[in-house]
Amino acid sequence: MEAIAPQVVFYLFGLPITDTVVSTWVMMALLIIAAFLIKKYAPHAGEFIIEMINSIVSSVMPEDVRVIQFLPFLGTLALFLLLGNIFSIFPLMVSPTANINTTFALSALVFFAVHFYGIREKGLWGYIKDTATPIFVFPLEIISQLSRTLSLTIRLFGNVLSTDLVVAIIFSLIPFIVPLPLAALGMLTGVLQAYIFTVLASLYIASAIEIADVEKERRQMKQELKES
Amino acid sequence: MWQLDSGTIITLITIMFAVAGIVLGSIVPALMEGKAVQKALEGMTRQPDAAGDLRTTLLISMALLESTAIYSLLVVLILIFGNPLLDRFFG
Repeated sequence: MEAIAPQVVFYLFGLPITDTVVSTWVMMALLIIAAFLIKKYAPHAGEFIIEMINSIVSSVMPEDVRVIQFLPFLGTLALFLLLGNIFSIFPLMVSPTANINTTFALSALVFFAVHFYGIREKGLWGYIKDTATPIFVFPLEIISQLSRTLSLTIRLFGNVLSTDLVVAIIFSLIPFIVPLPLAALGMLTGVLQAYIFTVLASLYIASAIEIADVEKERRQMKQELKES
Repeated sequence: MWQLDSGTIITLITIMFAVAGIVLGSIVPALMEGKAVQKALEGMTRQPDAAGDLRTTLLISMALLESTAIYSLLVVLILIFGNPLLDRFFG
């Protein structure tokens, strides 16, 4: 298990600090510094990045939803994963997402965010009623919520860890030029997985906030009745 | 004939089955992903206007298909690096 489990670097107040946690701190510092630099020197580049994330998210959301309200969460997720999946190309660093605890924390965030946005959109009772219509899909819905959290966790972890492991194994055999194409393939996989994680998170949020057509018509009729 | 102790036998069997598992678990998803890409490419050449929608759907479904291969990789990694049988008999 030593080969794939994170190594403990030092102890802070009795808590073991692993190398992935140290990498995450370095990455957070890099992201914050980059954000300040972009804000000061190249604000158009920041606009371009936000516009890109906006177009990714709005490609899977329904048309009549204001996408900008989800961007703080989904954009942070996208930037974190984009840097975190390819972070092992920096010397002395490991990818934070090659640790299953990190990916589980991220998908738990997605799990709670889906319910938060759903309840904020429809109200607590409306959200439960929408989930449990007809009543026999309610257990299936719960199972699908849990299983997709698990699959988000394991997909990201497995992809990042497997490409890192392949590079490490080839490096131990031929430590010269040969691992480079595999490292490039790992970067491609990492960027693709960041995209897919973001798109899947916005798909789940979209399925939680979307109102069925029948329900929409009923609400419209109620509104018209109230006005007349 | 060599005398093998039980730890070696367990390790040998584990490695054999891990290799068989990763081979089967990567062949089948790869074939099916190829099928999905083929169909998507056919659709793109037939209707270039819908290429953007098709690409998004293709990437999402490829990720969902890919995760089955990743699950088998995870099982194989657990078998090789954290074998529960070895801990149980020799822990």
